Amino acid sequence: MTSSTKRRFRSAKAIELFACVLIIAACTPAEQASQVSNAVHGPPQVYTVNYPLAYFAERIAGDSVKVVFPAPADIDPATWSPPAETVAEYQQADLVLLNGAGYAGWIQRVTLSQSRLVDTTASLADRLIPVADDVTHSHGPGGDHSHADTAITTWLDVELAIGQARAVCDALVLLRPENEAEFLERLSKLEVDLRALDEGLRDVARRIGGVPLFLSHPVYQYLVRRYELNGYSFHWEPQEMPDEGQWRELSAAIQNHAAAWMIWEHEPHPDIVRQLADKGIGSLVFRPGGNRPAGGDFISIMRDNVRALELAIPESAL
Amino acid sequence: MRDVLYLAWRYLVYHRLKTAILVTSIMLIIYLPVGLNVVVEQSAEHLTARAEATPLLVGAKGSPLELALNSLYFSAEYPELIDYSEATTVADSGLADAIPLYVRFRSRSNPIVGTSFDYFSFRDSSFASGRPMAVLGECVVGAAVAESLGIQVGDTVTSSPETVFDLAGVYPLKMRVSGVLEKAFTPDDEAIFVDVKTAWIIEGLGHGHQDLARPEAVSGVLRRSEDNIVANASVVQYNEITEENAGSFHFHGDLAGYPLTAVIAVPKDEKSGVILRGRYTGDNATRQIVRPVTVIDELLDTLLTIQQFIVAAVIIVGLATIATAAMVFMLSYRLRRREIDTMLKIGGSRPRVASMLLAEVAIVMILSSVFATLITLLTWRFGPGVIESLVVA
Repeated sequence: MTSSTKRRFRSAKAIELFACVLIIAACTPAEQASQVSNAVHGPPQVYTVNYPLAYFAERIAGDSVKVVFPAPADIDPATWSPPAETVAEYQQADLVLLNGAGYAGWIQRVTLSQSRLVDTTASLADRLIPVADDVTHSHGPGGDHSHADTAITTWLDVELAIGQARAVCDALVLLRPENEAEFLERLSKLEVDLRALDEGLRDVARRIGGVPLFLSHPVYQYLVRRYELNGYSFHWEPQEMPDEGQWRELSAAIQNHAAAWMIWEHEPHPDIVRQLADKGIGSLVFRPGGNRPAGGDFISIMRDNVRALELAIPESAL
Repeated sequence: MRDVLYLAWRYLVYHRLKTAILVTSIMLIIYLPVGLNVVVEQSAEHLTARAEATPLLVGAKGSPLELALNSLYFSAEYPELIDYSEATTVADSGLADAIPLYVRFRSRSNPIVGTSFDYFSFRDSSFASGRPMAVLGECVVGAAVAESLGIQVGDTVTSSPETVFDLAGVYPLKMRVSGVLEKAFTPDDEAIFVDVKTAWIIEGLGHGHQDLARPEAVSGVLRRSEDNIVANASVVQYNEITEENAGSFHFHGDLAGYPLTAVIAVPKDEKSGVILRGRYTGDNATRQIVRPVTVIDELLDTLLTIQQFIVAAVIIVGLATIATAAMVFMLSYRLRRREIDTMLKIGGSRPRVASMLLAEVAIVMILSSVFATLITLLTWRFGPGVIESLVVA
């Protein structure tokens, strides 16, 4: 490094430092405290168990907190079990946002600070949908029991999603009270987007009305209830060819539930699409959006879902 | 002067048995009150320090001492159990942070402390190696446990059955060590820490087993109907939680009703603590909230009272011993009359002979004091640990 380069480097550093001092001097005392704290410790870390909560937290908090959703992109966060090292990262978080409703069962099997956990559906418990497991089992003195729980994809009922976003906001305000005003402002903008989404889903659902639909997986309970869809749920995987029994189940279901469409979580395998088409059943994708998308965000995924429904089931087809 | 000291010393060495008895008697008389004082003061300080660092304990109505000793020192006797919901109630009150404790099981002689991640920050624990437990089946061991069992991160420890006669009881659980604590010179050194849910698995309230609906579990099925499967005794239940079987571990029913021995309540401030304590008053309350420092102070008051009695007894015995020692010296001088006369006749002056006799007494007193100081120092170093273990036992 030449002496003139060194001088320029030092000057640049001095200007940066001076700018920092000016910015901090211009802030209110609370902001100053928060910025000093950020400078020392970095912004608070907020970990989430699924993408919708991460999206809500990012929209509401902006850069005031660091939102982390560490699940790998190619898995379903609902059934994911993070390795111990990732759990150790969750332990260091200032706030862990849970979906509740039995989502991310791994939470029961790890050690986290209870005081940092926030169940975003805790106040919505009466609106959650219980799911009964048909098969019970017994062993030892515990008596009959099943491992049944609650329907998990709560955010597909946009009204519940709004409730969860509010819970996220409340938790963030407790974490960063000095940012309350801006958090509330951003929450109302998020609510506007979510209500628009809700309206879009209502419109398309109004058009679909009571037309029977097949659902490839039992993840649409909240969507079905909120938008009064006439769905019949299977337990099919998009990339696994259903076995004979599953095809027989479909044939039996068609007798009473003459659906022309099956809704999938992800793109189904072309062979499945072909076989369904042979039976007069079309395939369309409605992504629950539990994991972070490769492109776009939560709102854009949901808009794509609405568009997919509109395109697949146009008004003229009904 | 050296000749006087030499003669006195030779006399004492020649009559070594008499000298030893005298030195021992006087040493004990000096040591007993001083040593006892050291033990009581240090034990009080040691016991009180841990109690002072634990603001409030919530437990079942019963003996506050049992609750405090089990929660602070992990004593083997555990109090009546409370529900896990009590921890949630404390936390939801917004008045205090709640740290659950389930101190019931042991691995050999070491207590297994079921608690939460917050315990380590609450006790300001440092890790010599590894990290806190993160998943079910992991544990953190205290420094003394790691040292005595020769274990380190990655090794395993196994829970002990509550009773060897419980043939139908749950299998011991093998737990992987995720971290080793730095030596803290507290009961934490002797403990094995697990998540409270792991403690429930040790008890058999949570468990992992084969999926009974799957074909490979067919040998474990006693009866199968359309909506119910009954397992027989051969169903494979896991006694170690691994990455592969962790997903099969589950708890039946609502965790809110699962047992705890106590909840450490850490109030936000003094006012919150007072309000919280107010919520546990009333004759019909089935729970109690105690300030450990008050409980331990009461225990120490008892110890101090005992100490006062002992000191009074020691003073009386001491006076008797000093009188006896004086008599021993006086009788000794009478028996040595001819020896003293001989010393005077061969030219020894009276002051010099008297100096020699006094030097004998002085040497005995100095030796007694030195030995008393030495054993007081030993007591200062090791006494509190011994007393604490006796109190907790």
